[in-house]
Amino acid sequence: MKTVITITVNGERHSLEVKPNSTLVDVLRDQLGLRGTKKGCGEGKCGSCTVLLDGLSVSSCILLAVQADGREVVTIEGFGECGRPHPLQKAFVERGAVQCGYCTPGMIVTAKALLENNPSPDEKVVRKAIAGNLCRCTGYTKIVDAILSLADRGSELVKGEKEDGS
Amino acid sequence: MRIRPFEYLAPESLEEALTELRNFGSDTVLLAGGTDLILAMKHKSVLPTRVMGLQKVRELNFIRQKNSTVHIGALATHSWLCAHDVILKKLPMLGEAVSMIGSWQIRNIATLGGNLCNASPAADSAPPLLALDSRVVLADSDGEQEAPLSSFFLGPGQTALTPSQILKEVIIEIPSNPYSGCYLKMTRKRGIDLAVVGVAFHAEIDPSTQTLAKVAIALGGVAPTPMRATEAEKILAGLSSEEALRALADAAQAAVAATTPIDDIRATAEYRKAIVEVYVRQAGAKVINSLVKAGGNRN
Repeated sequence: MKTVITITVNGERHSLEVKPNSTLVDVLRDQLGLRGTKKGCGEGKCGSCTVLLDGLSVSSCILLAVQADGREVVTIEGFGECGRPHPLQKAFVERGAVQCGYCTPGMIVTAKALLENNPSPDEKVVRKAIAGNLCRCTGYTKIVDAILSLADRGSELVKGEKEDGS
Repeated sequence: MRIRPFEYLAPESLEEALTELRNFGSDTVLLAGGTDLILAMKHKSVLPTRVMGLQKVRELNFIRQKNSTVHIGALATHSWLCAHDVILKKLPMLGEAVSMIGSWQIRNIATLGGNLCNASPAADSAPPLLALDSRVVLADSDGEQEAPLSSFFLGPGQTALTPSQILKEVIIEIPSNPYSGCYLKMTRKRGIDLAVVGVAFHAEIDPSTQTLAKVAIALGGVAPTPMRATEAEKILAGLSSEEALRALADAAQAAVAATTPIDDIRATAEYRKAIVEVYVRQAGAKVINSLVKAGGNRN
């Protein structure tokens, strides 16, 4: 028995027919084709499915799609564009914070939520914020460095605006 | 991990929700944040045929202070609680505890009401709320009942809610004496973990006699429900701060004696008792010293 939800994803409004027992991550990946958001544990513990819901970082694998009705979702596809990466994406690449890349979309989404909440976090705050995003490759050091590198540069950069002064 | 199909409804007001529950309560499972329920549905330990999502019932989503009472709506999320001015200033022990729940992603969706209604013996919000003698408001279509939180937990995963009732809000009196509290949580690892043991220690000082007017020690993860260690509290109540610090070891032993932990996948009963003893002493020292130095929180 499907139900219709209205959900804004990366700025675009969608009216979608969803089954109540479908999770937000499955709707994003399979109905909207946004495969940047990953499925890892399926239990809300690894953070690879992290998206922003009304600006809050959430694990989309333990949210039903119907819970997002009337709300705004931002996925990793909403960050930067081809050829013009978001400052967080650039920082992750430049600092070697990406190995297999599976945790990366979730990490970047969480990092954005952090920097919008707290533009100048210290290392302790960063580590607590990403505690819900597991990485099996990097040992977290370079991920933390990448996020901290933006903490020095002010919150305008997090919004991805005016990086080149234009 | 497929979730079995179910009938879904999302009422837009408390009245609508309660009317539904009056008629179909025993077949309907309530969904707040879902961080416990959806997980249980994925693991097939709960197989509801009918789920009522509460996210549109905005009347349940509030945090307010009215004179010396704090009212928290059942749908208030943990992340809202631990950033909220009223909680930071007046109920920091509660804020401290809920900031340790899950991860940031979980705290952004999970609710206080959900944490209480899920009734894990190790629920992190329970010991602080028990230590503060909190009350809960249970609503059904006939009206509302207020009850002490201590009567709400009946067993692991079991609460006093009837099938037609919703937990509406939690009410906490801000103490009139200077007070201080802290919550310590033992986990197996940093990051996301349930409490193996949780200890909330709350104390108030009578400024005229400089003795402890109230001591509340609440424990999680060491009994079928979150509990108060009343015998331990009696050892410390009425003492001066120096006497209380000296009596902490005895109080800690009394707290351990009151617990009935089990061996489970996370820890043995023996380990849990050992941690209760250490944490009651540590939390007690922290709280009593803070009452002496800074004079504690004021109403």
